[in-house]
Amino acid sequence: MSWKQWLSGWRGAVLFSAVVLGVSFIDSVVERPEYLFPPYFKHILLICLIYSIAALSLNFVAGYIGQTSLGHAAFFGLGAYTSALLTQELHWSFWPAFLAAGIVAALVGVPLGAPALRVRGPFLVVVTYGCGEVFKYVALNLDITGGPAGLPGLISPSLGVSFNDIGATGKESFIVLALALALFLAFFSQRIANSRVGQAFAAIREDEIAASAMGINVSYYKLLAFVLSAFFAGLAGSLLAHYLSFVSPDMLSSAESIMMFTMVIVGGARSIYGCFLGAFLLTILPEILRMLKDMIGLPFDPWLVLFGLVLILMMRVRPQGILGADTVFRR
Amino acid sequence: MVLIQQIINGMALGGIYSLIAIGWTVVFGIVGLINWTHGEVFMIGAFVGFFLVSVYKVNLIAALIIAMLVSGFVALMIDRLAYRPLRTSPKLASFITALGASTFLRYLAALVWEPHARAYPPTFDFKVMQIPFGESTLTINSLQLFIFAVTLVIMALLQWFITRTMMGKAMLAASQDFEMVGLMGVEVERLVMLTFGVSGMLGGAAGVLVGVLYAIDPMMGSMAGLKGWAVAVLGGVGSISGAMVAGLLLGVAENVSSAYVSSGYRDAIAFVAMILTLVIKPTGLMGFKFEEKV
Repeated sequence: MSWKQWLSGWRGAVLFSAVVLGVSFIDSVVERPEYLFPPYFKHILLICLIYSIAALSLNFVAGYIGQTSLGHAAFFGLGAYTSALLTQELHWSFWPAFLAAGIVAALVGVPLGAPALRVRGPFLVVVTYGCGEVFKYVALNLDITGGPAGLPGLISPSLGVSFNDIGATGKESFIVLALALALFLAFFSQRIANSRVGQAFAAIREDEIAASAMGINVSYYKLLAFVLSAFFAGLAGSLLAHYLSFVSPDMLSSAESIMMFTMVIVGGARSIYGCFLGAFLLTILPEILRMLKDMIGLPFDPWLVLFGLVLILMMRVRPQGILGADTVFRR
Repeated sequence: MVLIQQIINGMALGGIYSLIAIGWTVVFGIVGLINWTHGEVFMIGAFVGFFLVSVYKVNLIAALIIAMLVSGFVALMIDRLAYRPLRTSPKLASFITALGASTFLRYLAALVWEPHARAYPPTFDFKVMQIPFGESTLTINSLQLFIFAVTLVIMALLQWFITRTMMGKAMLAASQDFEMVGLMGVEVERLVMLTFGVSGMLGGAAGVLVGVLYAIDPMMGSMAGLKGWAVAVLGGVGSISGAMVAGLLLGVAENVSSAYVSSGYRDAIAFVAMILTLVIKPTGLMGFKFEEKV
C-alpha cells in the first residue's frame, strides 16, 4: 500500500485535524512569552478552512455532476447576508441563524439551479455568472443590506461564552467549528459519491442524454446537486461573516465565484483532498506573494497576474487538477 | 419626452454593445469557445487609441483604425498562444485558459498602465443640437451621432465581408458546420485566425468608441465584455444581425431604466435579460439552435 492510499480515507482526516487542532491550541497549552503561531497565521488557517467548505460544496455541482457554475459566491454571500440580517434585525442568536443561512441558500438554489435544466455548457457558465452579478447589484442597492458599505458589527457565535473569548487569540473555536463542518462535508461527499445518488451524478456528468435514456431523472439530480451545494455554501458564508463580524457585497462578487471554481479545478474536481488543496493553495499563495512583495519591495502585487498564468499552464500540463483522477477528462 | 431623449442617448451606447457582441458571437459560432478575453482585447483597443490620440496626436479616425489593427493582432496572438494548443482538448480546459488569460491581461494592464481612469482628450469639436419636439426640445450630441455612424459603417463593412467575400463566406459556413468546412478543403486554422482577428478588430473599435464617450481604465473589460456576451445571447448566439438589434435594445433599455427605475440596477439589466432569454427562449431573438446530438 502506497503512502498516498494509506493517507486517503480516515487516516488522512485524523492527521489533518490533529495538525489543525495542534496549531490552534498549542498556544493555549504551552506558556510562552510570544505566540508560536501568531493570530495572523490562525486567521489564514481559518480562511483556508472556510474556503475548503466552499470548494467542497461547489464540488457537488462542478465536480460530481460536471456543470460549470460561476455563481457559487451568490450562495456564499446569500448565507452571509441571511444570518447577518437575522441576527441584527430579528435578534436571533447565531446558531439558528447559521442553520437558516444554509436553508435560505438551499431554497434559492432551486431557482438558480433551474436554468441548468434548460441550458448547458458555455451557456450555463454565463447564466450562473449573471445570477451572481444580479445578486451583487441587489445587495448594493437595497437599504436593508447596507448598500456598498455592507453590514458591520455582527454578533459572534457563543456557547455560553462568546467565541471571541475562547482560546489564546479568540479564533480557535471558529477553527474548530470550520474544521468540523469541513470534515463532515468531506465525509458526506464521500458517502454521496459512492451512493446511488453519486452514481446518477456520474452518469449525468458523463453523458446526459444516455443518463436520461437509462431512466435517470436528470432534472431532479441536477437540482439536488445545486441545492446541496447551495446549502453548504450558505453555511460557509454565514461562518465567514460572523467571524469577520462584517458582510459586504464583495462576498457576492464574481471574482469570488471564479476563485472558488478555480479552487476546485486546480485541486482536482471530484477529489475531496483536491478541494482542500485547492482552497489552501489559492488562499495561502496570495498571502505569501504579498509578504514577498513587502520583503523585496516590489511596487505591485504580482498575485493576480501570476494566477492567470498558473491557470493557463495548469490547463496545458494537468487539466484534471493536481489531485484529479487520471481518467479521461471530457468536454 | 424623457423616453425619446433616453432612447436617443441609448443608441450610441447600444451600437457599441453590438460591436462587442458581434466579436463574441463570431468566435463562439466558429470555435465554440466563450472567449472570456474579449473584454481585455476591448480594453487594449481603448488604451491603444488613447495613447495614439493623446501622446502621438493622431487623428481620431486614424487612431481608431490603428487600434482596431492592434487589437485584432492581440486577439490573434491570444488564440495562438493560449487556445490553439488546446484545440482538441475538452471545452472546459479552453474556458479555464480563457479565464486565466483574461485575468493575466487585465492585471498586467493595471500594472503597466496603472489602475486609474483616463479620459480621451477632446479630439474635435462636438456640437450639441437642440431640436424642438412638441413642447420641449430634444438634445442630440453630435458625438453620439458620430459614434453611431461609425458603428453603422463598421457593421456594414462586416456584413459586406461576410456575405460577399470568399473568406467571409467560409466563416459563415464554418459557423454552421466547422468540421464539414474543413473537409471541403478550407484551411480551418487560418479561418480560426481570421475569426479571432475580426473579433479583436471589432472589440478594439468598441474600446476606442467607449473611450471617446466615457472614460477608460484597465478594469473596463470585465463588465463590457460580459455585457457583450449578454447581448450576443439575447440576439441569438451566432447571429450577427441579432447581435446588432439586441445591442441597440440593451443600450436603450439601460438608459430608459436608469431614468425610470434606478440607476443602481443599470448594469444588472443586461444579466437579467440574458438569463430570461436563456431560460425562456435559448435561441435568442434571431439565433439558431445548437442541438446536442447523441
